[in-house]
Amino acid sequence: MNDHIYQAPREWTRLHPVSPLLGGWAFFGILLAYWIHNQLPAWVDGGDEQWAFFDQFPLLWLIGAAALAFAITIGISVWQWRRTEYRIGDDAVYLRQGIVTRQQRQARLDRLQAVDVVQPLLARVFGFAAITVQVAGGDKAGVALKFLRLGDAEALRNEILALAAGITAGDDAPVTAGAEPAPASSTGLRDHLAERTQALRDPEALLAGRERVRTAVAAAEEREVYRVPVGRLIGSIVLSGPALTLASVPVIAVGVALVAHVDVLGVLLAVVGTSLVAIVTALAALLGFFWSRLNGGFGFTAGISADGLRLRHGLTETRRQTVPPGRVQAIRLHQPWLWRRRGWWRITINVAGYGVDDQSTDTVLHPVATREEALRAVWLVLPDLGDPDPAGTLGRAMHGAGDEGGFLASPESARRVDPFQWRFRGVRATERALLIRRGRWEKELFVVPHERTQSLALSQGPLRRALGLANVEVHSTAGTVRPVAAHLAVDDAIALLDAQAARAREGRRRQSPEQWMRAVGLETGA
Amino acid sequence: MSWYDNAAAPWIPVSRRLITARLTRLWVVTGLLIVGGVVGAAVTGEAWVLTVPLALAAIGGWLTWIIVRQVTAHAWAEGDEDLLVRRGRMFRSVTVVPYGRMQFVDVKAGPLDRMLGLATVQLHTASPGTDASIAGVPADEAARLRDRLTTRGEARLAGL
Repeated sequence: MNDHIYQAPREWTRLHPVSPLLGGWAFFGILLAYWIHNQLPAWVDGGDEQWAFFDQFPLLWLIGAAALAFAITIGISVWQWRRTEYRIGDDAVYLRQGIVTRQQRQARLDRLQAVDVVQPLLARVFGFAAITVQVAGGDKAGVALKFLRLGDAEALRNEILALAAGITAGDDAPVTAGAEPAPASSTGLRDHLAERTQALRDPEALLAGRERVRTAVAAAEEREVYRVPVGRLIGSIVLSGPALTLASVPVIAVGVALVAHVDVLGVLLAVVGTSLVAIVTALAALLGFFWSRLNGGFGFTAGISADGLRLRHGLTETRRQTVPPGRVQAIRLHQPWLWRRRGWWRITINVAGYGVDDQSTDTVLHPVATREEALRAVWLVLPDLGDPDPAGTLGRAMHGAGDEGGFLASPESARRVDPFQWRFRGVRATERALLIRRGRWEKELFVVPHERTQSLALSQGPLRRALGLANVEVHSTAGTVRPVAAHLAVDDAIALLDAQAARAREGRRRQSPEQWMRAVGLETGA
Repeated sequence: MSWYDNAAAPWIPVSRRLITARLTRLWVVTGLLIVGGVVGAAVTGEAWVLTVPLALAAIGGWLTWIIVRQVTAHAWAEGDEDLLVRRGRMFRSVTVVPYGRMQFVDVKAGPLDRMLGLATVQLHTASPGTDASIAGVPADEAARLRDRLTTRGEARLAGL
C-alpha cells in the first residue's frame, strides 16, 4: 500500500485489471435484448414452440450452459484485456489491442480535438472511468481507454491536455503554476474502497457529477458558466415533439370515437393484437429519445478553463468533456416551436471526432438554454464574435426578420419556394463568424467561425434559377451542424461566396496555433 | 448568364473524352437492354413489345444529351488560395476549396478511363460535405494537378 504519485505510463501498460468485468456486461445486455426481440412475437402469439426446444433439456443442463457461456465471455474479455496496452508519449497516445488481428493506433496530440472521461453506470458505482481521446482525421481516429480508476483517468486526461497544450513535461509531472500538487490517487485497494464508500454515502455528489477526485496532475482551474436545472430539462422534454405525439394519441382516439361512433376499444384491441411488435418498437424508440435527452442533459454543467471548454453531464452514464480552445467547428441554436413561448434553445456543436447523429450526447453544448444562457454559450465558444454589439447582433440573429441589423435577407421571389419563412432567412458575417438564420415558428441559427470553414459551395436547381435564387453552403466537419444559407438572390449569393472565401482565408491566417498554451505565451518548460 | 464567373483564374474545362467514356458506359447498358427488347419482340411476335426498345432508345438519347451538357459544363480553376470546381447545368454548383483545408487528394481511374487516358481527381477536406471531385482530367495532367495541389496544400496547411 504505497502512496505513489500516478504517472501516465511512458511504457506499454495494461488497463486496470477490473476492466474485463466492467466491459463484458454490455455484451450480455445485447444478447438479452436480441433474445427478447426474437422471443417477443412468440410470447404475443402465446405459442409454446419456442419453449419446447428448452423443455427437452433438464434444468441443470441449461444452468450449466449459461454458466459456460458466462465463463467464455469473461475469458475472452480477460484475454482481450491482456492484449490491450497503452502508453503516452510526448506527441501521441498509443494503444495496441486485438486477439486475432493486432491493431496499433496512435492519437497524435497535435491533432487532438477533445478528451472525454466517461463513466458508464457500473464503472461509476465502482469508481472507474474510460478515457476517449478524439483526434482529427477520419471516423475511427480516436483512442478509447477502458477502464482506469477515476482518479487515474482524470490525471491522465490532465496530463494529455497539458502535453497537447504545449507544456513540455520533464521527469516530474507537470504542475500548473500556483496549484498545489494534489495527493496521489493511485493508492491501495483499501483506500480505494474507502473512497468508494464515501462516494456512495454521498450519492448527491455522485449523481450530480460533482464528485471530487484527487489527481496527480492538477486539472486546469475551472470556472462554471452555466448549469441546467432539472426542472427545466424535464420541461423541455415534456414540450418536445415525441412527447406531444405520445400525448396526442389518446386525444385523437377519443376524438375519433366521439365523432365517428366507432367501438374504440374493439379497434384498439384489434390494432394492438395485430401490430404489438410495431407498437412496442415505436414506444421503445420514443422512450429511447426521452431517456437519451434526460440522461444526456441531467446535471448539465459548462465551465471554462485554460484547457478549454468543460462540459459535465449524465444521469447514469456521466461524461466529462474537455474541448480545447478553437476546436468547435460550428454551432447550431435550435428552437422547436413548442419552446418558443419559453424562449428556450437547444445548442449543439460540431467537434471533429464527436458523434454525427442528432441524439448523440457528446455534441450538446446546452440541452435547454434560456436566451441569456444561449448568448453565454456562444460566448463560451467564441469569446470574440468580432462585432461591436455581440448581444444585439445575436439577438437579431435569433429573433429578427428581414434585413434589419445588417442581415442579408432573401429576396421576395423566394416567397414562391419558401412561403412561410422567406422573410426570416438572413445571413450576416461579423469579423470572426458567419451567422445564418432561418425559421418563423421553429427557429434555427448557425454560427460558423471564419477560420473553421472547410469549404464553400454555391448551388442552384432549375426552380431557383427561374426565380433568380441560389444556396450557399458552408461545409463544416462531420457532425450535427450542417449550415446552409438558402434562397439568396443569385448576385448576393455570389458576393457572399467570394467574401466568405476571402474571410475564411483571413481567418486561417489569424488562426491560433494548435498548442493553445503556446498561443498565450504560457510556456512552462521543464 | 449571370452565373459564377471567376476573375482570379481561368476555368479549365475537363477533357471531352469524358463524353466518350460516359456515353460508352451508358450505351453498353442501354444497347444490351434494347437488343433484349428486340429479341423479345421477335420471339413473342407481338408488335407492341417493340415499344420497350423504342422507349429505351429515346431515354438513351435524352441521357446522351444530358451527358454532353454536363461534361461541357464541368470545369475547374486553380486560384491563388482556393481550388474551384464547377459542375452541372440544370442543377449547377460551384465548390470553393481552400488549399490549406485539403486533407488528401485521390486520383482514380477505372479501366475505361485508363483506356481513354482520363482520371478523376478528388480533394478531401475534413468535411464530408465537400464535393470537390473533378472527373475527366487527362491522366498526365491529373498527376501534375495532384502534385500542384499537394504542394500548395502543404504550403498553406492550416489546422482543422
